[in-house]
Amino acid sequence: MSQQVAIQAEHIVKNYGDFRAVDDLTFEVYAGEVFAMLGPNGSGKTTTMRMILDILKPDAGRIAVLGGPLNDAAKDRIGYLPEERGLYRNVRVLEMMVYLATLKGVPRAEAERRSLAILERLELSEYARKKVNELSKGMQQKIQFAVTVLHQPDLIIVDEPFSGLDPVNTLALKDLLMEFRAGGGTVVMSTHQMWQVEEMCDRLLMIHRGRQQLYGPVDDIRKRYALHAIIVEGQGDWAKLPGVQRVELTENGRRRALLHLQDAATPDEVLAAITAAPDMTIERFELAVPSLNDIFIRVVEEHR
Amino acid sequence: MYKTLLVARREYLFNLRRPAFLFAVFGVPLFICVIWFIIFAVMSASEANVDKIGAVGYVDEAGILANPLLPPDYSDLFVAFDSSEMARQALEARTIGAYMVLPPDYLKTGQVITYSYTGIPEALKDAIGELLTGTLSRRVAAQAPLERILDPVNLTVRVMDSGRVLTEANIPALFMLPMIFALLFVIAAGVTSGFLMSGVVEEKTNRIMEILVTSVTPIQLLGGKILGLGALGLTQIAVWMVAALVLLQVGQAAPFLAGITFPTDVAILLLVYFGLSYFLLASLQGGIGAVVGSEQESRQFASIISILWMTPFFFLPAFLEDPNGVIAVALTLIPFSSPLTALLRMGMSSVPNWQILLSLAILFVTTVAVTWASARVFRWGLLRYGKRFDLRDLLQAVRQPAGRAEGVTPVAAKEGVR
Repeated sequence: MSQQVAIQAEHIVKNYGDFRAVDDLTFEVYAGEVFAMLGPNGSGKTTTMRMILDILKPDAGRIAVLGGPLNDAAKDRIGYLPEERGLYRNVRVLEMMVYLATLKGVPRAEAERRSLAILERLELSEYARKKVNELSKGMQQKIQFAVTVLHQPDLIIVDEPFSGLDPVNTLALKDLLMEFRAGGGTVVMSTHQMWQVEEMCDRLLMIHRGRQQLYGPVDDIRKRYALHAIIVEGQGDWAKLPGVQRVELTENGRRRALLHLQDAATPDEVLAAITAAPDMTIERFELAVPSLNDIFIRVVEEHR
Repeated sequence: MYKTLLVARREYLFNLRRPAFLFAVFGVPLFICVIWFIIFAVMSASEANVDKIGAVGYVDEAGILANPLLPPDYSDLFVAFDSSEMARQALEARTIGAYMVLPPDYLKTGQVITYSYTGIPEALKDAIGELLTGTLSRRVAAQAPLERILDPVNLTVRVMDSGRVLTEANIPALFMLPMIFALLFVIAAGVTSGFLMSGVVEEKTNRIMEILVTSVTPIQLLGGKILGLGALGLTQIAVWMVAALVLLQVGQAAPFLAGITFPTDVAILLLVYFGLSYFLLASLQGGIGAVVGSEQESRQFASIISILWMTPFFFLPAFLEDPNGVIAVALTLIPFSSPLTALLRMGMSSVPNWQILLSLAILFVTTVAVTWASARVFRWGLLRYGKRFDLRDLLQAVRQPAGRAEGVTPVAAKEGVR
């Protein structure tokens, strides 16, 4: 890929006393992509994010963000949604949003205009003059995300943006994220919801115990973990098909089957054979690509 | 610098509207004024009561008031009666408000018995005293004028070097005014630096700190807070000074305030001391706020600091006894007690210049050192959660080169355990 690099981390290491939280990580985040950081709790995701944001300094290695070491000007082009959520409680929503945006270099009047616009977008206009602690948790979380993008950054780093949100708010937040990305922004996000990674993310980095386990485009990784097998639903004697080594029946064996293929066979040949066979009907045909969830669990189990 | 000012602006405006601040600004002076007013209302009420009681009879069984010398202020007050019975009848008829009996052995015992339906006001005792002193003094062949016998001391206090001259009537003000100023000053520095600590603790427990530190550096954050809240403290002092000036202007009519001018020298030193000690307190509390984990914990530290801060009040009797004694000088030089001690002593006597200068110098050095150390601890402590700090970590953070000061954080503990 000939893309611009938004974040470049080279051999970064972070120790907390005797504990190595991040162990020799090297990765790049391309400009304009949604990049997932995965890993079990305590694997080093948040520490890595904090190092990218210069909250923590790596003990070894180097990180370039938006073209160089993170300086004040670059900080203004980054938005951060920490995992541990928090807002000023006793302050009016609009006032707080404006303050946080001005700290990122947005002029006051502009910050106010944008805050009102995004509040309207989130259907929270009527809360602009209310105090933060009068809002529900979901509303607060949406406002936090709004604060993250209010200064129109080039890069946002969001740590588990969907945790604790109901499905409706999750959808609203997802729309905002994708909108941000469509506008050319780069997203680094961590999440435990693998289906969201499959749906939203271009590439991923999976960390376990501070070390890199998986790294690359989401599709490639899923294919790498794919079985040489296909999933079919329909009727017929699957075992008779050429190229099929073994049939594994699922769902009481009546409709869905997992067809393990011989090494030389390809899914296309099998599909052609099925359509050619008059005594077979087919309702579903897909590659047996595991979900990221399965991959995640497998990787963690392997390194236990 | 721009971001520092943004933080300062926010801290100023936010805390300006806090009820606690509004109470400190307006409530405290109001409270003091009310107390003051009540004290003087009671005092002047007891003076006026001599008129209320009406005429006062006297029965002279001792035979010394045959030719009484009536005190000039109370020339109509006293009425002679020949016997206790007649005086009693007059009292019952309410033609007099009280009467007194000088028993035959008065000259030996000094005993005077008064009879009345109500108590005897303080002023009446004074009047009786004047009557007896005046009349008795005729028996002494004295050359001294009568008024000197009655009022031998009319005190004028000249406080050397300060140029302030106070007459007897406003001696209470000499003592009260610096006390009140010192108290207000302590409140101003204490309240605003306390806001700083609670603000940091709130941002930390709210985790909004993580967002803040990706926008501003810890030093910009601490600097902005110190500036903004310092401006708030100055606002507070300005309001009080204006109120004091108005009070003194209005108070020229009241005898105890007459002739007192606003002590400019004290006012200027007050501001200098305020500036330095505010910086000391604020950066100290900022550092503590960054390190401690909870509001509760921070309050414990706040109370320790305010005890240190208020120590001079406990030594007030020692200052009164010997304003230039060892305790007074020592407390003037120790950084935490120096501002209050110096201000209290300046009110009572003149403090040698070398002491003021030395105390300011020590305070300045301490303030710079504490601010420097706090700035380092601040960065290190900001993102530590859930762990009680121990002193070793803290000292390490101070010693470490800037920028590497995050050291071993509980983030490690948190992530490691999970």
